[in-house]
Amino acid sequence: MNKIVLKNVRPFVNGKFESPTTMNLADGKWVKEDLADAAVFDAGGALALPALFGLGLDFKEPLRDDIYDFKDGVDAMRRGGFYGGLYESSDNAIDDSRKLSAIKQISSFAGFAFSFLGAFSVGYKCKELTEMIELAEEGAVGFGDGNQDATRTRFLRLAMEYGSMTGKRFFFMPLDESLRHHGLVHEGHYADTLGMKGIPRVAETIAAFRILEMARFLKVPVHFKQVSCGETLKLIENAREQGVDVTCDVDIYHLLLDDSCLFNLDSHCNVVMPFRSASDKEALWQGLKSGTVNAISVNHDPVLRQDKEVNFEDAVPGAISLEIALPALWKSLVEKLGEARALELLSFAPAKIAGADSSDLSLGSKANLVLFNDKEETVVAPSLFAGQVRNCPLLGQTLSGKIKGSYLGGLWTEV
Amino acid sequence: MSALEIKHLFGLRGVSKQDIRLILDHAKQFREVLERPVKKVPSLRGMTVVNLFFENSTRTRTSFELAEKRLSADTVNFTSSNSSVKKGETLVDTLRNIEAMKIDIVVVRHKGTGVPKFLADNSKAIIVNAGDGAHEHPTQALLDMLTVEEKLGTLEGKNVTIVGDIRHSRVARSNLWGMTTMGAHVTLCGPSTLVPRNTELMSSVTWESDVKKAVKNADAIIALRLQKERMDDALLPSMREYRNTFGITHELLECAKDKVLIMHPGPINRGVELDSEIADGENSVILNQVTNGVAVRMAVLYLLAGGRAHE
Repeated sequence: MNKIVLKNVRPFVNGKFESPTTMNLADGKWVKEDLADAAVFDAGGALALPALFGLGLDFKEPLRDDIYDFKDGVDAMRRGGFYGGLYESSDNAIDDSRKLSAIKQISSFAGFAFSFLGAFSVGYKCKELTEMIELAEEGAVGFGDGNQDATRTRFLRLAMEYGSMTGKRFFFMPLDESLRHHGLVHEGHYADTLGMKGIPRVAETIAAFRILEMARFLKVPVHFKQVSCGETLKLIENAREQGVDVTCDVDIYHLLLDDSCLFNLDSHCNVVMPFRSASDKEALWQGLKSGTVNAISVNHDPVLRQDKEVNFEDAVPGAISLEIALPALWKSLVEKLGEARALELLSFAPAKIAGADSSDLSLGSKANLVLFNDKEETVVAPSLFAGQVRNCPLLGQTLSGKIKGSYLGGLWTEV
Repeated sequence: MSALEIKHLFGLRGVSKQDIRLILDHAKQFREVLERPVKKVPSLRGMTVVNLFFENSTRTRTSFELAEKRLSADTVNFTSSNSSVKKGETLVDTLRNIEAMKIDIVVVRHKGTGVPKFLADNSKAIIVNAGDGAHEHPTQALLDMLTVEEKLGTLEGKNVTIVGDIRHSRVARSNLWGMTTMGAHVTLCGPSTLVPRNTELMSSVTWESDVKKAVKNADAIIALRLQKERMDDALLPSMREYRNTFGITHELLECAKDKVLIMHPGPINRGVELDSEIADGENSVILNQVTNGVAVRMAVLYLLAGGRAHE
């Protein structure tokens, strides 16, 4: 329905939550006039947050729409209160403007704001440059590596040098494949105890350093996806002091889990950037506090049930998070950083990085919001998730807070 | 019969001293059975054991199969090379199909860490780990412990040195957990590229890079098999340098106690991790290990079955 009256709701306006009030929502806006014909929902004092923006969406279309598609993805965004996201598929490189045009068409769900990363190399293979100028003209907001190692240094230079003509940002998940060397988990005492091949921190820092040096040399803005250790944050701080334009995000699950979860051997904890040590997790939280980290990413990566219902090492890596990101993080974020910073990290900053409009709430203007009761709880059950996938590392856990509904693109969805 | 606290045998990390004691004591009794003219007891009559081997194995699979037959169980061998796994069947489906045939115990070997636990989570059968990746090989460690006890009387206070590729060795991991639980002092020694870098969780053992120092006070030395792939992976320059630096040779044993036990999980690379004269010498207890392997596996199966055969 495109009209709804939310009673007893506390909207986040001008940096704080207001006292319980009534919000009249119609045609995608928060309106003054009474909506006599609209349905009424008693929010019971729930918070009305500006809707969230997801960095790292991969809805698998078109090549793997047997797993997931944009319809599933938008369903997940409604359930989780996301009005938009930055899309980049690791299976399906957007490496020419026709592909970008096609995927923009597929993703044209009314009111949702998708931004797209073009690939800077054909098929993410780092052998041929893509037509970055055309991709930028078609609407690519930046150029990405598809979460595949792009640290072949000469190609990196050429890609960044050529792409610099567009003025767009380059997005990297810093991970040196040769140092990774088939590793799946953080190289630490849990991996050593279990006899599992580890990924050392230097696989990330060496890749990051190489990219930062290139960014400094070529004066190209860069973004690091899913930074997982404190050492990389130090490199970012140093590079910023030298004038490098670098932003970064941390993955939601890296703020919640560390490599001690390996002892459970739960294949849902098999993700591309591995969960690192408890001290790394703490360093990421410090990075959020200090401002070194710009945003929190969701990295919504659907994996079929049968590809996770195997032993840890044979599982397809990846995790979904759109539906549970808010209850999973909100309490900790607010306790450690405050409400305003929490929303900055989950909504405004990710949108800014992706070149999208923000979802500020104010009377008389466009309204995308998520209704969240921070006094209730969410049990992470399979029924929470859209589509046929369930690959969430928090399955079975109880989270603080519950999403009650979302008003996105002018459509009210009760969750 | 006392019962084990554990319901499955995934590994020896976290297994209590009481459970290990119970297994070793029962293994000693089964060791006597193996010396009889009729080497068979009816303990598992009516039970079915599947040996589910996704990795090549001759020694361990044969040892388990013999143990099962000595206990009068019905046994089925399932290897990935002749199975539906080759046709793309998932591990869970393979297990569920086998389970539907009403089996009681699954002995599993797999390249993946944690596969035995994964199978236990998805099955009602008793699961015994016969080696999972580089994680654990608990029955090998138990037979090593049995051999040390048999020769030296006790593990308590004994010095056991493990030499070789610790990083990739499930045998080393199981031994360090089991031996330290039983009161032995374990020293690990190997080239820096073949030992774990993060040893905090293994703080109960001593790490020694000098093999002469590592063997000096040892009551038993376990030499680990060196796999040729380690050279291909640039973890070592050559077999030759490995043998000269970490091989158990006559010269090295001059630095050790006269009666030190020489052990090896097999198969041996003669002239690499162990010289032939040492492997066949008077200190070697390698063939005792093989015999004890059957006894230990009988004990494990018997105790885990825990009377189910009579239900």
